[in-house]
Amino acid sequence: MSTAPTLSRSVLLRVYLRSLFLQASWNPKGMQNLGLAYSVYPALEQLYPDKKALEAAVQRHLTFFNTHPYVAAAIVGGVLFHEQRIARDEESPDKVVAFKAALMGPLAALGDGFFWLSLKPAVGAICAALVPALQAWAAVLFLFLYNLVHLTLRARLYWMGLTLGDRLVEAIARANLPTRGARLRSVAAACAGGLVAWLAVDLGRTAGGDHAPWLVSGCLALGVVSYILVQQRVPNYVVLYLAAGLACAAGAFL
Amino acid sequence: MSVGWTQVLLAGLWGGLVAVERKAFLQAMLSRPLVAATVMGALLGDLRAGLYIGMLLELFYLGTANLGASLPENDTVSATGTAAAAATMAAATGAGSTQALWSIAILLFLPLGRVGRIADRLLEGYMARLARVAMASAEAGNLSRAVRQNLWGMWPHFFVYGAASSTCALLGFFLGPLLEQLPLDLLRGLAWAFPAMASVAAALAAQGSHAKRAPLYAGLGATVVILAVLLSTLQERR
Repeated sequence: MSTAPTLSRSVLLRVYLRSLFLQASWNPKGMQNLGLAYSVYPALEQLYPDKKALEAAVQRHLTFFNTHPYVAAAIVGGVLFHEQRIARDEESPDKVVAFKAALMGPLAALGDGFFWLSLKPAVGAICAALVPALQAWAAVLFLFLYNLVHLTLRARLYWMGLTLGDRLVEAIARANLPTRGARLRSVAAACAGGLVAWLAVDLGRTAGGDHAPWLVSGCLALGVVSYILVQQRVPNYVVLYLAAGLACAAGAFL
Repeated sequence: MSVGWTQVLLAGLWGGLVAVERKAFLQAMLSRPLVAATVMGALLGDLRAGLYIGMLLELFYLGTANLGASLPENDTVSATGTAAAAATMAAATGAGSTQALWSIAILLFLPLGRVGRIADRLLEGYMARLARVAMASAEAGNLSRAVRQNLWGMWPHFFVYGAASSTCALLGFFLGPLLEQLPLDLLRGLAWAFPAMASVAAALAAQGSHAKRAPLYAGLGATVVILAVLLSTLQERR
């Protein structure tokens, strides 16, 4: 068993910061392969003083890689966990390749479902609903709420990958992200529904003048009709331009 | 008509920065329409236009997501371009920001989202070239050059979408004086179009929330708001 240098804190921090550039050169063939190799390179340099071994390690991470950019932090941490063991001859290089291949798909699905399809719509709908009350602070609140979850989880996942290796799967499963995501989606729907009503009333009163009640009721009706049209697979653009045309004609001729 | 070149430059810088943040670095949601358009409005001296346009576009694009290798519409360039154009149109007219003006900006510049998706697809060709250079460098033993190729992928986003936002700001200066010649009836119609589009965008957001029982939750939300408004109106009359 050979002795390999352990990764210093500064290298661990550098790898984490570089993982924020994971998608900088996303390409159709290797997807995030360049981003992953770029992220872990400082650690590989420290683990493999021998040039041939370093070349082989970099080549391992230039192969196809694609997952959710936030949850990738767990895989980046896990890659370091395995590379340290490989450098100490405690396991074969196939292990790290298998680790990436096994985790990138399921973690991508988990990250997409929680971050892209739940957290982002929920925080977006809540903060959009707060625009009439908070004005520009709603945008600040959006960044604060979203990144509180995003940055905390990203850092935690990196640490879990680094310390738990393959066992991080169980730890992530315990977080129960799909259930939390479903709740967030319900919040997003309720906020958006409330916003249909509020925007119709508030903006309708501002723009409508003497005809405000007509404009408010028309906007509410348009909200309901557009929901039904989009469910019937009418494109969003068509619905939006149609509504604008109708309201414009009504405003011009009434 | 005089063009405010500082505003055109600021629009380009912010448009470029958020384009990089959206795709290449961090993804902390500075590039979401609500944030990107609000900051664009603030930078160009029309915070209100940026905020309300950002809110509408945030709702319009709420359900879109970058899943796997699929490319959604580029909501960021749509937001920065529309907000920049609205702000410079208002500056060019000198009459201040109005809902009619926001409607015109949205109707004219919203399709930028689709144009942005085409541009994103074209940029992938450049990224593929970077990947080939990286592989060749790694095989030649030049490892630091190989991994550094990753960073070169950011600049095209900055320049392409920065230029797009600057162009929108510039167009706003030319369009502003033309709007003053529109008939008053049409301007009133356009003012009506903004709340209508906002309501539709919110309904699209409810549909795009991906919630299992979205109609139920959206209906509940709308009912609560309507009841609250009715109660407060009744109290005011007493």
